[in-house]
Amino acid sequence: MKTNFEVIAAFIKKHVTADDYSLRITARDSHETRFAQNAITQHIAGDNIDVDLEVAFANKTGRCSINQIDEAALLAMIKTAEEMAIINQSDPEYVESAKTQEYPKAQNAMDSTLNLAPEQMVDIISKSIQNGEKHGATVSGMTEKHHMEIFNNTKNGFQGNYDLTEFGHSMTLKKDNVETKVSFSSKDFAAFKLDKELSKLNGQFDSLTNPQPFSAEKIPVIIRPDALWEFYMYTMWMMNRRQADEGLTAFTDQFGKKFLGEKFSMLSTLKIPELISTPYSYDNVVSEETYWVRDGVVETMPTPRYWAKLKNLKPASPFNVYIPGGNATEEEMMKLVPRGLIVNRFWYIRPVDMKAGELTGMTRDGVLYFEDGKVKHAVNNLRFNEIPHDTTRRILALGESVLADSSVKLPSILVDNFNFVDTTTF
Amino acid sequence: MKYLDIAMNTAKSLGADYADIRIQKSTNQVIYLQNLSLKNTSTDVSKGYGIRVFKDGAWGFAHSNKFTDDQVVATVKRALEIAKLSAKVKKGGGLTLAPERSYISTYSTPIKVDPFTLPLKEKVDLMMEVNRTMMNYEGIVQTVFYLVMQKDEKLFASTLGTRLDVTTQFINPMIMATAVLDGDSQSRTFDEGGRAVGWEWITSLDLLEKAKQIAEEAIIKVKAETLKEEARRSLILDPGHLGLTMHESVGHPTELDRVLGWEADYAGISFATPEKLGNYKYGSDIVNFVGDNTLSEGLATAGFDDDGVPNQKWHIIKDGVLQEYGTTRDTAMQIGLNHSRGCSRATKYYNQPINRIPNLYLLPGTKELTPAQLISETDDGVYIQGRGSFSIDQHRVNFQFGGDFFWEIKNGKLHRPLKKVLYKSCNPEFWNSCDAICDERFWQPFGVVNCGKGQPNQTGRMTHGAAPARFAQIRVGGSQ
Repeated sequence: MKTNFEVIAAFIKKHVTADDYSLRITARDSHETRFAQNAITQHIAGDNIDVDLEVAFANKTGRCSINQIDEAALLAMIKTAEEMAIINQSDPEYVESAKTQEYPKAQNAMDSTLNLAPEQMVDIISKSIQNGEKHGATVSGMTEKHHMEIFNNTKNGFQGNYDLTEFGHSMTLKKDNVETKVSFSSKDFAAFKLDKELSKLNGQFDSLTNPQPFSAEKIPVIIRPDALWEFYMYTMWMMNRRQADEGLTAFTDQFGKKFLGEKFSMLSTLKIPELISTPYSYDNVVSEETYWVRDGVVETMPTPRYWAKLKNLKPASPFNVYIPGGNATEEEMMKLVPRGLIVNRFWYIRPVDMKAGELTGMTRDGVLYFEDGKVKHAVNNLRFNEIPHDTTRRILALGESVLADSSVKLPSILVDNFNFVDTTTF
Repeated sequence: MKYLDIAMNTAKSLGADYADIRIQKSTNQVIYLQNLSLKNTSTDVSKGYGIRVFKDGAWGFAHSNKFTDDQVVATVKRALEIAKLSAKVKKGGGLTLAPERSYISTYSTPIKVDPFTLPLKEKVDLMMEVNRTMMNYEGIVQTVFYLVMQKDEKLFASTLGTRLDVTTQFINPMIMATAVLDGDSQSRTFDEGGRAVGWEWITSLDLLEKAKQIAEEAIIKVKAETLKEEARRSLILDPGHLGLTMHESVGHPTELDRVLGWEADYAGISFATPEKLGNYKYGSDIVNFVGDNTLSEGLATAGFDDDGVPNQKWHIIKDGVLQEYGTTRDTAMQIGLNHSRGCSRATKYYNQPINRIPNLYLLPGTKELTPAQLISETDDGVYIQGRGSFSIDQHRVNFQFGGDFFWEIKNGKLHRPLKKVLYKSCNPEFWNSCDAICDERFWQPFGVVNCGKGQPNQTGRMTHGAAPARFAQIRVGGSQ
């Protein structure tokens, strides 16, 4: 996939009559194989392109995107966007397009992923299913590879491009009432070790037999990395600077204050090579090393360009997430409290109170009960109503940070008094 | 279009057991107004084709946005190669497709005023006026008007000989006002979901009056009290709330692909397994759910699904008993059904069709009953309007829902407004606790346009509907 973005950009530059414009081109080539109940049920391949143009006459804007790149289609796109802008009303919050800027270079596209053949992907699935059959269980999951090329250009001189790859393989192993899941996602297929993933899956599966009923209560919980990301991703969303300044979230008036627990830090970083780190955001905000939370202090908040201009702030946008861990093992964490639970994953997390930052959700894919430093047995799933930033103040220990997603690295944590409010029937 | 013939002739000549091509152009217009700032005024047009080849009991799907004879042939070949790869990992003989005949037909969503031909200014002027109206209220700090319009034009051909020309479209307005007071913020929303109609629906809604109501109720809500303790109470749910409740607790569990475990890795499975058909008491005797892809103004109404199966109407739950599922040609045969109910739909041309919830609605009560009567006959309860927080487990059994606006009911009267109300229930407790449904005069549709499902994820659309209904002895309380 080699798309001549410069040719498209030159054509746009030549034909746009608007005072300002921002162009973003995304080309994508994907191969996605879905399997369920020990057979492939969906199998998809193809490429696509998206050309997205926003134009402005003074502060009146219009936008159009298309997936055809012949000259007639590009002219039609320009015409549609410009006509929308001309007859639109003025936008009092319009910000002119980004100017020339230097952006960091990062290797986000890996040959190992680019060169992965569909036959190899099917072979991975076959081996995953063979492993499931040894357990008398069914396996369902998704094996996928993606290559994306992104190009940005503005009337004011910003120009950037980068590409990235992603490989993913997930497996849900299910037999009777026991079900558990592992998933791997990375820019680099070479980092994928099927044996390691199967070993993790089998370990989780074996630990979940003979589940015992467990009632909801406030209890210490070891939240494993996949679950932790599902839970804390909302924190970044709720930290939006404008939303906070307007009084809409729990982060109102908390900038610069120790609002979270001192064991908790969260950043976007260019220094961890295994993480995808896009060099600039969708809105052309250049990526740089950013602590969002450092030792519990709210140090930076995601800030849109308009709000940054209005409040004389620096725009900021997350480009990956790293939560530094500690060195506690799960065994050591279990010894820090008399009893508790271990959660593999959460599911269907939704806000219930935006101002408080309260979320609800359930456990999924295995919950273990431990006592006196040892796992005793599996238990049923549970519902929680909890406030993520509040839980950071109750962190008792952190494990080593690991890759949970291609752009997310974070640890297991032990949290005290996690608020489970209901049980599920399985 | 010649590409239909090229694709089907190529598939046949290469030995496909079955193949189809769907050429699809999707046009989406979004206008997003926050306060008086137009955050997004955009038109998105995507055009391409997806080709499915079925070979030796397995699917291959390839897509392209390049319209040349050679590319169409190459895409068919790629889909066939993928199908052959898929067939290496199948159970037994693989999948079989439910029998279907060929059709030559057209369908187009009936609309009176096409919003795509309406001047942008007319739409934006209305939206600005609505937001200005809400911002005039003291205490309202944020207003949103989000308007989406979408048109999908499809040409479909299959090796069965089917040729279809289908155009569907919908429009979806959403208005929200957020009030901030004494350290709390609360939003109130007008959102009936999408509807397969034209701009004539928008003009009939009297959105300026709705804007006043939304702003006033946002202020009432931020000042409202909360329920301190969870207790078993009656719930009266309006159609705008029930739409989402039935979507999550009836619609998804009765998708046959979930029942079969095809969604086990992501969206989840279903408790409503095939041995329960015809005998499982899903709800009380007054609970009747109908799958109806012929529903007028329904979002899933398209004449045919993406398997080329005609739209149908059937009972999913009758007199409280589970009857049937929403099915596709490749899921139906897995449980011995010999025909599909036509629930196979894809979002964009590059998506492989999957088993989707049909238009699914709760039939109204057969006895005359108004919402006012329903409230007057309730001693201790909560009346919930609109949708809020919602969360349900991956088997579709246990759930917790919020809402958008709440009234406490005491001794048959609306006693006081509430905020932050949550209720917890499960299947089959919830639908078996349904003890009253208002009559057909109060039945209203609710359209879902963003139903996320599948790997890769797709956003489907379908219409639900209900009259206000009461549920007895549900656990109702407040958030933390």
